[in-house]
Order: sequence, then C-alpha cells, then structure tokens
Amino acid sequence: MRPVRPAVLSLFAFAGGLTAGGFLIAADRAEVDYTRDIRPLLANACYQCHGPDDAAREAGLRLDRFDGAAGELPSGERAIVPGDAGASGLLARITASDPDVVMPPPHSGKSLSPREVELLRRWIDSGAPYAVHWSFVPPARPVRPEVSHPGWGVNPIDDFVLARLDREGLQPAPEADRHTLLRRVSIDLTGLPPTPEEVALFVNDRSPDAYGQAVDRLLAKSAYGERWAALWLDLARYGDSAGYIHDPLRSIWRWRDWLIEALNRNLPYDEFSRDMLAGDLLPDATTEQIIATGFHRNTTTNTEGGSNAAEYHYAAVVDRVNTTFEVWMGVTMACAQCHNHKYDPFTQRDYYQIVAIFNSQEDFNSETPARDVPRVGRDAEFADRAARLEAAQQTFDAATAAADAAQPEWESAVDRDALPPEVVEAIAVAVEERTPQHLERIRNHHRTTREDWRTADEALKAARAARDEVGTTAMVMREVDPRPTHVFIRGDFRSPAEPVQPGVPAALHAAAAEEAFNRLALARWLFAPENPLTARVAVNRMWQELFGIGLVETAEEFGAQGELPSHPELLDWLATEYVRLGWDTKRLLKTIVMSRTYRQASQGEPEQVAADPYNRLLARGPRVRLSAEQLRDQALAVSGLLSPKLYGPPVHPHQPTNGLAAAFGSSTDWETSRGEDRYRRALYTQWRRNLPYPSMVAFDVPERAVCSTRRIRTNTPVQALVTLNDPVFVEAAQALARRILTGDAESTEARAALALETVLARPATAGETQRIVELCETTRAALGERSAEAELLATRPLGPLPEGVDSVEAAAWTVVANVLLNLDEALMKR
Amino acid sequence: MRTEQTLAQLAATTRRHFLTTGSLGLGSLALASMSGVDLQAADAAYEEPFAPRPAHFVPKVKNVILLSMSGGPPHLDLFDYKPELVRRTGEDCPQSLIEGKAFAFTGGTPKLLGTPHAFRQHGDSGAWLSAALPRLAGLADELTFVKSLATDQFNHGPAELLLLTGIPRTAGRPSMGAWATYGLGSENRDLPGFVVFVSGGALPSSGKAGWGSGFLPSVYQGVQCRTGGDPILYLSNPEGMDRALRRASLDALRDLNTLRPEELVHTETASRIAQYELAYRMQSVVPELMDLSNEPGHILEEYGAQPGAASFSNNCLLARRLVESGVRFVQLSDWGWDFHGNQANEDIGDVLVQRCAAMDRAVSALIVDLKRRALLDETLVVWVGEFGRTPFREGRTAGGPWLGRDHHPFSNTMFMAGGGLKPGVTYGSTDELGFHVAEKPVHPHDLQATILHLLGLDHTRLTYRFQGRDFRLTDVAGHVLHDILA
Repeated sequence: MRPVRPAVLSLFAFAGGLTAGGFLIAADRAEVDYTRDIRPLLANACYQCHGPDDAAREAGLRLDRFDGAAGELPSGERAIVPGDAGASGLLARITASDPDVVMPPPHSGKSLSPREVELLRRWIDSGAPYAVHWSFVPPARPVRPEVSHPGWGVNPIDDFVLARLDREGLQPAPEADRHTLLRRVSIDLTGLPPTPEEVALFVNDRSPDAYGQAVDRLLAKSAYGERWAALWLDLARYGDSAGYIHDPLRSIWRWRDWLIEALNRNLPYDEFSRDMLAGDLLPDATTEQIIATGFHRNTTTNTEGGSNAAEYHYAAVVDRVNTTFEVWMGVTMACAQCHNHKYDPFTQRDYYQIVAIFNSQEDFNSETPARDVPRVGRDAEFADRAARLEAAQQTFDAATAAADAAQPEWESAVDRDALPPEVVEAIAVAVEERTPQHLERIRNHHRTTREDWRTADEALKAARAARDEVGTTAMVMREVDPRPTHVFIRGDFRSPAEPVQPGVPAALHAAAAEEAFNRLALARWLFAPENPLTARVAVNRMWQELFGIGLVETAEEFGAQGELPSHPELLDWLATEYVRLGWDTKRLLKTIVMSRTYRQASQGEPEQVAADPYNRLLARGPRVRLSAEQLRDQALAVSGLLSPKLYGPPVHPHQPTNGLAAAFGSSTDWETSRGEDRYRRALYTQWRRNLPYPSMVAFDVPERAVCSTRRIRTNTPVQALVTLNDPVFVEAAQALARRILTGDAESTEARAALALETVLARPATAGETQRIVELCETTRAALGERSAEAELLATRPLGPLPEGVDSVEAAAWTVVANVLLNLDEALMKR
Repeated sequence: MRTEQTLAQLAATTRRHFLTTGSLGLGSLALASMSGVDLQAADAAYEEPFAPRPAHFVPKVKNVILLSMSGGPPHLDLFDYKPELVRRTGEDCPQSLIEGKAFAFTGGTPKLLGTPHAFRQHGDSGAWLSAALPRLAGLADELTFVKSLATDQFNHGPAELLLLTGIPRTAGRPSMGAWATYGLGSENRDLPGFVVFVSGGALPSSGKAGWGSGFLPSVYQGVQCRTGGDPILYLSNPEGMDRALRRASLDALRDLNTLRPEELVHTETASRIAQYELAYRMQSVVPELMDLSNEPGHILEEYGAQPGAASFSNNCLLARRLVESGVRFVQLSDWGWDFHGNQANEDIGDVLVQRCAAMDRAVSALIVDLKRRALLDETLVVWVGEFGRTPFREGRTAGGPWLGRDHHPFSNTMFMAGGGLKPGVTYGSTDELGFHVAEKPVHPHDLQATILHLLGLDHTRLTYRFQGRDFRLTDVAGHVLHDILA
C-alpha cells in the first residue's frame, strides 16, 4: 500500500491518494532528474534486494551506485548499459511478462507503473547519471534567483518563493490585514493570541517598522519559550511518568523548565543541543548544563517484577540513538538496528557504534541518577536553604543519637500503663527476643517523648519543605565506565556478535580525532561545518511550525525514503543563514516571519486553493488549525483566566474521572489543581504516559512514547465535543461572559461586537454582531423562565457570579462565548 | 474567478444543506462542484479516514470483538487438561524444563501443580473444558481452540503489548484495532470505528497503548467508552444546556462560520463545520446505544448485565450492540486474571470458579446472541490472555494458603468463534505436563495475521510508512493459521 500521510485528515472528506509532495513534484517536472525521479523509484521498488545492504543483496546486483548497476554481474549480464536502455537487463526485467522473470517480483507486492518504466528508460538512455542523495551533500549558499517582481520581496526567502511562483505562472497573495497578521504572528511566536492592547498598539502604529517592532516584542516575551518548548516536548518524548505497567510518576519537569528558559534566553542552537546531549561532560559543567541532559532521560523504565533490566536498558539506549538521529540529522537510523539500512548507506555496525556512545551512562532501567537542583532562577535561595537543611539534618541526627542513648534508662523508668498499646506490646517482649519491628516501635515512640527531638524533627521537615519550594529533583545523565557493546544479531539483545567501539557512520563526514568518542564528541560532530543535515533539519522544522508543513514534508526523514524539498534552494539558503547567524534561533525566526511570503493573506483564490490544497507553492499565507496546547491557551487567554506563572511542577487542570488505576499502579485520576494552577498553559499539564490528558490527545498530541517530529492533524467530531463541552472550555466561556458583562460595553450590540473582537482579535462585522445578538436573545428567552438551569450554565464549574450579575444574562453570554470559542476562525491560525 | 453572486449563492446553498440534512459529506461535494473546482485536485487534499475501504480480498468477517483477558488466565485450569500433571502434583518440576529459563516470581525448583478442577469432554468435537466454564462448555462445538499459543514475554506489560501492538515495548506502534480501522474504515459514520471498554477496575497492563494509534493518525485510536459518566468523553452538554439550546447555538455557529463563504473553499473549514453536526448526532446516538435499560429483561439476564453497572457482562452486551451498529472493532479489556496465589482473590481453586462465572455467562451469551441475530457469521470473537500460567506452583506463594501459578510464556490456550473459522476444532497441543508447545506453535504475530486475514487484509500488505520504513502489525513475521479457517 502506498503510504498516505496527508497533512490534514478529515472524518468525512473525500478519498484520495496523492501525497502533497507527489502533487507538487508532478507539477514541476522538466527532464528526468536522478534525485527527483529515479532514486526514489529505485529505492522503493528495488533496494530491498539490490540496495546498500550487502547481506540482503540478490544476484550480486546493487542499484544504489553507478559501478554496481553498470558493472558486469556474476551472471554476465549488465543491469544498466549507460546510454542504451534496449541493451540494459534492468529494462528487460521490469518490462517482462513472465512472472518468474519480471522485476520487482510479484510476491514483493511492489510494481512499476508504465510512467515509471518510461522514466527509467529515458534516464538510462541519457547515460544513467547518478548523484549522491541530495541531503548528504552539504548545503551551499544558493544564488538569489531572477524574479518577475524584484521589489516584492523583503529578503531572499521571497525571491526563492517568487521564482517558483513565476515558473508556475502564479502571483503571490496580497499582505494579510493587520489584525490577521498580528494574531498569526502572535500565535506562531508565543502560542497566544494578542491582547486587545497589543492589537491597538500595532494597528495604530503607522511607522514603517511597526511590524518588525511587534515581532521583536513577541520574541522578547517569556511566552515565546513556552510555545517553542511544546515542540521539544514531542521531540524529547517528554512525560511525567516512567511508563510500562506501573507507570509511576517521575520528577523530570525541571528539564522542561530548563528548555523554556534556554529558549527564552535564545541559547544558540549548537550550544542548546550540546547541553542537552552532553552538558554533563563539559569542563566545569554548570547546574543548568547538567539539568539539560534530562533530554535523554525521557526514556521509559520498566519496574515490573522479574523484568530483565538489560532488556529495558537496551531499549532506552536504542531510543536515544534513534531520537538523536531523528532530531538532529533527520535520518532513520532505526532501520539499521536489525540489519544494514535498505535505503541509506548505514550499516548495522554503524548503528552499534552509536549505541556504544549511549552505553556508558549510569542509568540502567532506573530512575536514577537524579540530583537536587534549584528551580529556575532560585540558585541563591536554594544554596542558602540547602545549607539550612544540612544544618537541620545535623541537629536532628544529634537529637536522635541522644534520644537513642537515653532509651534504656527511659525504658526502665517509664510507666508502661501510660504507653500506646502497640508500644506496650513491644516493650513486654524480652530484649533479646525483640524483632526489628518491635525495636522500631519502641524507639519511635520514645523519641517523640523528648522535646529536643520533636523540635529537631519539625525543624528538619520545615527546612526540607523550604528547600523544596525553591528546588526539586531532576533526572540527569552521568557517565560511567563504558559497558562493552556488541552488534546484536537482528537487533536482539540476547544475540551479541562482534564487539564495537563508539563511532559515527562511515558514510557520513568523519569525526574529529577525539580521545574518547563520547556524547560530547557526538554533539560536536553533529555541528561540524561539513555536516550536511543538522541545519537543514532544524530550519525545516521551524518552517513546519510556521507554515504547517515543512519544505521537506517528511521532517523526520531526509534520507532516500523521505520526500524531496519543495524549494531546495530556499531550504539551503535558510540552512546556511542559520549557520551564518551563529545558530541564533530568534533571528532566524524573525527573518522568516518578516518575509512577504509569511505575511501573505491566507485566503487564496478558490482555483489556486484547490490546485494546491497544502500550500506547497506558498502562493498564500499559512492557514493551520491551532495545536492542542494553543487551543487551551487561547481559550484561557481571551477569557482572562490564563495564569501567567512560568515554570514549576506539573499541574492538574480539570480532567474527567476515569475510575481506573494503572494495572498494579496508582489511580490515573487526579484532584483538580486549586488556584491559578488550574489555569496554567497546556504544557504544564501532567503527562501520564499510560493515560495522557484526553483533550490534548483528541487534538493530536502524540503519545510521546517515542520521538515525534510532526503531528498529523486530524479533524474529528470528538474535537468538536471537547471545545463545546469539556469543562475547561465551558469554564472559559463563563469567564469570557463575565468579562463582557462587567466591561464598558452596555448594549447587547456593543457587547456582541466586543465578545467577537476579544476572541478573534479583530473588529466584528455588522452581520456577525447581528447574528450574535440573535443568539443572545434566543438564549435569554429560552432560559428566562428557567433560572435554575441558567444558574448552572453560568456557574458550573467557574463558581458564583460576581455581585450584580444576573444569572440568565450570564448564561446567555456563556452560550455566546461557547459559540465564539468554537468558530472556525478561532480554531485556526490564518 | 467566481463572482460575488456565486459566492452568496454558495453560502445560501451550503447553509440550507446543513439545515436540511445535517450531512456534510454531500454538502461539501456540492460545494466543490458548484465552485467549479476540479474535484480530482480537491480530493487529493483529504482522505476520509473512516470511509469503508475495500479489503485486499473477500473478507470472512466485518467486525471483531476482542476479549482481552488481562493478567494471564490459568489455561491449565480452564482448557488445557493434563492428567499427567495432576498425577505428579507436588513433585519437583523437572530441571530439563526450567533450566536456563527466567520466571517472573519463581526461582529454584518449583513443585508441579495439577488442576484442582474436574475436566470433561464436551459436544461432538469432544473439546476438554473445566467445570469452571459450564456455559462455554455447552458451546464447545461453536468454538475454535488454539492450545499452542506461545509468546516470548513473561511480564504483563510487554506480553500484552506484543499481543495487541505486535511489539513488546511502548514504542509508539498502532494497536490491532487501529490497524483494522485504518485498513477497512468503519460502517457507521456516526460512531467511532474502534471502541474500547475496560473492566476489572484497572487499566490493562499495556495501558492505553493497547488501543493506541501509535504512528497512525490519532483518529484510528480506540475510543474508550466509559460505563460511568459520559460514555464518550465530553459527550454531554454543559450543565444547564438542553438539546434545544445546543441546537440553537450550533445554528448560530454554522451561520457565523458561513457568513464568509469564501472561507469554505478551504475543505478543512467545510469539513470542520460537518464535524459539529456529526458531534451533535453522536450526542443522541451514543447514549441511546449505551443505555442497556432498553434491552429486554431476558437478554440482560442471559448476559448477567445490569443497566447502569460497570461490568464485563455489561460490556459484552454493549459489544454486541456496537457490532450490530457497524462498529468495526470492539475491544474489551478485563483486568484481574493474574492468579499468583498471593492473596485470596488469586486462588486458582474456588475463587477462579467464582471469577469465571460472570465471564463464562457473558461470553456464552454474547456468542449465542450474535448467532441468534445472524451476526456471528460476520463477526469474529477472540478470547485471549497475554500469556499462560506455569504448570508449577508460583515460587513466592508455594508455602501459602492459596494455590497460584506464575506467568508462563511457553504455552497458552485461547479460543475464537465466528465467521470464517472451522468450529469445534482444537489446533495445536502441549506436552504432557503442559509446559511447552508440542505441535503447531502459534505466535501472537500468527494470531494477528489470522485476525487480519479474516477481515480480508493481508498482514504483509497492510503497511504504513513511518520514519522511512513501511511498518506492519506483524513486524517481519506472522503466518495465517489456514488450518483453522473454514
């Protein structure tokens, strides 16, 4: 089955089979191009048996290299005779009708279409030119292309986009209006819609750089780090529990806070990456750099009785290898775990060399090592309180020792009738016959009879609580002596073959000579100037976050099995620009959002939208449904409920009761957080791996069992039920209603307009206002005689109405707000 | 270019269409054709995830009810009768059997433990069943037993993940039900294609991954229906809002969404408007479907179901109702089959009989009920646990008051009933002590291949490309059990 990964799935729309990439490439065809036309075709149909994997190779034929394809085979045949398709064995086989002769063989389930056969014929006739797979060639700074309207663009991004539009005979769209543009860029950079004050400031600012200044303001907000951290939580397969059957909670949120803080501080991407991969190995590593290594501690552990720790340790190591290469290199090393890669030039041995890099850390299917660390920005207080805790501990230890020393004397003198029964029972046992339980009961009771011990005990508890207010425990990486690593036959940890040493794939650029090839060396290798992939993969992911789809659609796969870039030169320009800017992420993001390309209206002409539904040609601005996190955050923001609090332990917003425990584990239900923690941004919600927060799952947050580079957006009725009925969204509607009723607007019309403007960050039209008024009146009439229902609708779950607010009125506006929060325009970034 | 007039007309038509039928499938088609947009091109943008899709070959069944008996039921006390084991009860387990093997809670040399239950052959097929399963025994000739199921995992979580997702780790792989709905879509667009019920008071060992969508789009994940509160999350309107008011608000929502008809050229937007109508229909269809109080008393009695209760028995009856309504894959996870003998409720003696009573009754009723409604021919019922249990007494509890067995990956019994199978057949066998498979070993991948085969899907062709590789449920293994197919 041809894989279909549309960017948007809808429950009801039409059947179809083209990928967006397929559509696009077909649209830009000139002559036969190896990279674009031939390699994907050979990889799909032939590499399984005639590719880089020498263990699986049939008939001695490899088609991934010119010498293999054009050379004489053991049979004496030649698969490809350059310039002469008629003499080429390959063409004879793919056009044969005999099922025993035809290639690919029928049992493989693969076949070539007549068009594909024709492409191969033309390619062989033209000399069968091979090229190294595009993404393995380092990007060169492309020349700015000639365009029809040189004045349109504000930076080279626009020239590359316009050049492509020129070839397609298309025009770019006009710039989006100011309201739309500000909402778009606010959501993209901070994950939140603009406040009314921000809208007013921007819309009324007629200076030429009004937009640039708005962008700078957004990039400077702490909400920026929270928004982009959400992406990294998917990449890092972040969760607040350990996984598997017990799924116990774990403390790793301090890594998430590091992430937010590092993004806000705009730590350059090379350092940001290096700290996550190997911060602990840096000379004089700071606490923050060590916390950063929590990135790879997001692997799961299994504590089920009898579990073979080696098995789960190996699973975690494999996950770290796969995640590292997917996040930074955009290649699927996972394929080489069991056998040589079928499509890309990675051997199984290469794979285990990387495994060896991740096989010298202390954790071994364990939640340790972890360390006590300050919360973000609380270093001084933490140091102070940690010292106090240490002192309190010493006092406590001394008081305990003194108590225990005095115990025999106390025992002989104490009035036994006054003791609690279980102590009486224990003390009655002869000293030499007492069990440890007996001894403990007596000791514990005796200690509490001494005032100095009680005081020390209370002081210790208080000191610990005081320290925990400004600190927490963070899971981190710690290097130990390397464990021996072997190639595992078919990836099975029980079948070790030859031993291997740490290293990088031989087919890629060489690593600098290092004394020990550890994680730090790997991080340096990833950011070596000759690395062809790291920058491309990173900028593509940013593009994907802004436009909904990457320039390379398969953001996780830049190898032979990935899609080709829609705008190769643009991708390479962005990649080289990122390096030129010193991996300055905020500056690169600003460059992109300043482009005319990004600022286009997203509406689009109907024909153009139909012809290019995914906007791969970029003839209009981005139009993408908000993410799960953005939907929650927006509802809380526009209703005035959103807590601005940064950082901290995971929180428990309202979640339906499930009534189920994890098998052998604790309840999966939680008590809703109180106070502002109930209204925190979505990324602070506790993520229990066995039962992740249901409304976020409904909006396509991945399970986070493994690294996830892009979310497949779906469109389902369950989503409608969430935003209509989830108490979180109902509560937001109630708060918004109160906000409207207690604001300056007095007439129903004025309130209707204000409500819409509050949600959509743009003025309402007369038609909209009228329809909202109509709904308000209908609801008032319906609820006018039913004050009990009105009261419920206006107050559950938000709580009692403010003084002087009528419940029917509040209920009517709650219904209005509920509708507004469900408007297509509210659910979309456009 | 379209004129303002056509846009206005479009808006009016669209709105009218929503009002009259509430169905957007046609609405959107009309929209696309009216707008003069090339349908082919527009189609490419979307795929309908739940549209019924053609199978690879003629399917034998349309639906699956998977009864996942979570914890590992003691097959030696229910199906796999071993007189030799009974005879040698209390003897040391032969070293040759346990040497080099790891067990979850047993070290040293454990003692063999024959079943305390009476076994008898039943029906024309002569299938052996224990006295703990009197009603299923009466259906012996309807059932297809596999007595040679062997897994390679001895812990609950990994074994159940292997059974349900094809890989023994939480590695983001889709579950069997997700694969089935991805491959075939669903027959009923008002309901999810893959529905899950959980009983026994706990999530199964594999957690939500047992019905997750893994790397498939999230629409294919099993929708967990609950027996208390909303059957589907967020199905109920906010407190104080009745159905008329919801209708009024959805009307306003639709009107506001269509005030700018030019937005509707984006199929995602038109589609979203449809989702709200679908959600509205689900709000009435689903509670009705989940409400067992409209079942006749004798049916409730047959299943042992009680309206409003949360039980495996209720879930069996709900499974029938869902299959009847065209839901493709129903999975019932029943926790509590982990009979270690650690505590009174893990005793394989009388307690097992009590534990089986409700299950025996409900599963038998389900099979009889499906047959009576002529649904059994198009439905596959699968009863299976993640592993079997040891022929010896569990190590920790060997001196305790309760009889228990440890996890046993090397052999297990399961049964199926329904379309496409040879009924009254027993496939495979174990050695005389019930330790190893003696003939015709079956791996979970073979079971998965067979289930997909009965649905008309070739497990080697049902693939999805993820991270550059075509993945499938059965990884690189799996053989269809042709010998048990009719």
